[in-house]
Amino acid sequence: MLMKRQIPLLIVIVVGLITLFGHFVANEEIQNFVDNDSTQWYDIIASFAIFLGGLNLLKLQLLKIYKKQKNWPYSILAVVGFFFAITVGFFYRGANTISVTGINAEKVEQAAEMIAGETGESTSTILSSISDPSSDYELQKIYKTQGGAEDFSQKLEAYGETQIEPIEWGAHLSATRGDTGSLFNWMFVYIFTPLSATMFALLAFFVASASYRAFRIRNFEATLLLVAGIILMLGRVPIGEYIPAWLIGTFFVMGIGALLAPFIKNRKITLAIVAIGSLIFLAIGFTNGWDPAIPGFFHLPVMQEWIFQVPTTAGARAIMIGIGLGIVGTSFRIIIGIERSFLGEQ
Amino acid sequence: MKQFLNIIIKLGSIDRRYIFILVGLSVLIPLIRPINIPIRATNQSQDVFDALDALTPNSKVLVSFEYGPSTKPEIHPMSMGVLRKLFSDGHKVYATALWPDGIFMSVEALDQTEEEYSLEYGVDYVNLGFKPGNEAVVKGVAADIRTMYTSDTRGNHIDNIPMMDGINNVADFDFVFSLSAGYPGTKEWVQYACDPHDIPMSTGCTSIQVTEVLPYVEAGQVKGILAGMPGAAEFEKLVNIPGEATGMMAAQSFAHLVIVAFIIFGNITYFLKRRSDKKSLGEK
Repeated sequence: MLMKRQIPLLIVIVVGLITLFGHFVANEEIQNFVDNDSTQWYDIIASFAIFLGGLNLLKLQLLKIYKKQKNWPYSILAVVGFFFAITVGFFYRGANTISVTGINAEKVEQAAEMIAGETGESTSTILSSISDPSSDYELQKIYKTQGGAEDFSQKLEAYGETQIEPIEWGAHLSATRGDTGSLFNWMFVYIFTPLSATMFALLAFFVASASYRAFRIRNFEATLLLVAGIILMLGRVPIGEYIPAWLIGTFFVMGIGALLAPFIKNRKITLAIVAIGSLIFLAIGFTNGWDPAIPGFFHLPVMQEWIFQVPTTAGARAIMIGIGLGIVGTSFRIIIGIERSFLGEQ
Repeated sequence: MKQFLNIIIKLGSIDRRYIFILVGLSVLIPLIRPINIPIRATNQSQDVFDALDALTPNSKVLVSFEYGPSTKPEIHPMSMGVLRKLFSDGHKVYATALWPDGIFMSVEALDQTEEEYSLEYGVDYVNLGFKPGNEAVVKGVAADIRTMYTSDTRGNHIDNIPMMDGINNVADFDFVFSLSAGYPGTKEWVQYACDPHDIPMSTGCTSIQVTEVLPYVEAGQVKGILAGMPGAAEFEKLVNIPGEATGMMAAQSFAHLVIVAFIIFGNITYFLKRRSDKKSLGEK
């Protein structure tokens, strides 16, 4: 119990208090702990957490396969992907480069053509780089296998000295030369990128379908949301510039008419309000040569900016202040030992 | 007339696959046959441009890449626009990544600009890469960048990189630019690094993230904001180098128009259905 409850609680309370005091007490050691040591600690703990997370993922997926639970074949893909990423990240670099030096002046053009054929660079660029026999030129291509690098290196040996060098651990993850990259880079570009982009791109279709079915004028709040949504959607894109402000003004008058209709029994009065309002906006359009940006407030990009700057910012600030107060409250509860959910207690 | 109204009501419960096809076409057609729609820069994009334009040549700018392939179409054109602006004005760029995928984005963007502006690695720009730890990394950069980053993405020790001379923490940078698609991102840079050390910063982020960052922009803690793909296109116009975002504006415009048309049509069918339901109830 002491190890499971009291000691973790003590660690949290002490570290919480030191971090809090670090912002108010002008003590160099405390501030050094808050600014430097604590962030390093965070990194170290997070590194162990990644191992735990990885093992947990593996355990869950393997159990799913073993028990043949629903959609278990997808778990095979997850496990294969997991091991492939680990292999090319930690054990197999898949990134070798070839350097060439001391090319004989008589053969330099032939060598340049050969390298250009291999890497896709222009012959003139390579010529200028290899013409000095004392300089070391690294080919702008990464070979994923040692064998592939050796094959071309042997061909190049007829012209000069070659050397195959693997790219350093760590640097191999994102290494690129010309259009080629390491095996990890290949995995990112050709597997992760298209999958990730596809998932996100599908959102557009679901948003369209959901808006069609769910965005209904059922009450005042829904109407407000719908109108603001439409203004933002059209006002944010360049085409919103060309939707005339006088037309939006006319729609606005019609909207006012629709809102007033239930309260005015005489329909002729409602019709007169809408007709006069519409005529005013049409007159504004006519007198300004149908300029889409006049009257300014009904221009969609202007309305969109106003929505962003006033109601949206106000709402976002309110949420942020609420979250901030919540964090202060929760942190205080943790520091004084009331909040213990992080220990697994209820 | 009644038959026509019935058809409209029936269309209200149209199979969603038809909606998908129409949305797909509205995106595809403008991409296949590009339509030039003039772009006007908003005040927020103009503020970003002005903030970068006001930097004296040879300024040290930290550019943080906090996005991945899913948000690449929105943020990557901003990265290219911002890097082009910085390199053409002769600034030094220090790239970092708070997201693991950000490193690949930074490598791609910097490789392309290196070719365009004949840059020298370690002299004109350096890529410090990804570090796990979210806000702890930002706090680490703010306190002591050398304990956080010991080497760059190419495996060079940080002490052997010429342009790292005199760079010890965030206060040694003249400007910070966060290219962010979520957490950790712009908010963390404001809260843990730029605001406490009074370093000017700006951001380019996804459209859905704009509301979260706007309070900082309105308070002046962030100098302008490039909001989503339209923000990227506006910045491309401001730097006068049309890129990917400008080309995609027509597709986004038409997609938005189609979705708005669907919303309006959906409401029309909703009202017609409600009226016909009421009528049939009254007849009973």
